Amino acid sequence: MKASVRNIGHVSVVDLSGKITIGEGDVVLRNTVQGLLDSGRSNILLNLEKVTYMDSAGLGELVACYKRTKEKKGNVKLLNPSGKVYDLLSLTKLEEVFETYKDEKEALVSY
Amino acid sequence: MVPPTSISLVIPSEIRLVDVVHTAAERVAEIAGFDEDGALNVALAVRETVINAITHGNGRDPDLRVEVEVEADDRRLRATVVDQGAGFRPEDTPDPTASENLLRSSGRGLLLVRAFVDEVRFRRVDGRGMEVTLVKYLTDGPKAAGNGGRPDAEERRTER
Repeated sequence: MKASVRNIGHVSVVDLSGKITIGEGDVVLRNTVQGLLDSGRSNILLNLEKVTYMDSAGLGELVACYKRTKEKKGNVKLLNPSGKVYDLLSLTKLEEVFETYKDEKEALVSY
Repeated sequence: MVPPTSISLVIPSEIRLVDVVHTAAERVAEIAGFDEDGALNVALAVRETVINAITHGNGRDPDLRVEVEVEADDRRLRATVVDQGAGFRPEDTPDPTASENLLRSSGRGLLLVRAFVDEVRFRRVDGRGMEVTLVKYLTDGPKAAGNGGRPDAEERRTER
């Protein structure tokens, strides 16, 4: 799994690609979000458009990132989850936890 | 008609090997005739079962093994995962979709397993550990017949 960060105003967009799974993608996600929080950036938009799938560990790491960011008075929101990822978010009811957007501009102005 | 086929894998309890099992299960499902999404669903169910076996069954002890068998014919795919640990009680797993559990960072594995296959069976095997059997039908399985994968689609057996 790869992650790259674009800082747009006070929001950090994290473009993720690949799979978010145990022992690999979940670690990349955790380290990327923690790095942003450590540098004082707590408005985070995770772009999931190129994430092919997640397992339970990946879903758990999403939740962990959400909680850590909330502790910093920020927010993690989701952009463009793919079909399989959206199915997983729906199945686990995490779609009720995360604000999810299809349009990046719309997501950016929501912070 | 697809001739019956099967694979067997025995792995130490190392998380880095989960991808190996995932890939193998996905490929067998493709050979059996599942489409891309169906094969991924089967592989995700096997993946989560193996993660459970490594973490909850064997406690990530690399000296303990996980045995995986995936067999398929023209009717269905069946995967069996056996650990060597003390086991766990699947019925004690809290519902991860309950509002009070939504923000837990773990506990979603069995939910995914139950969602992605038609049958899940748990059996405690003396001297070995927990044996978990997953079945996914190519067509017209129990889910297709209308029970929607509710927990009552499962057969849970415990033998001591």
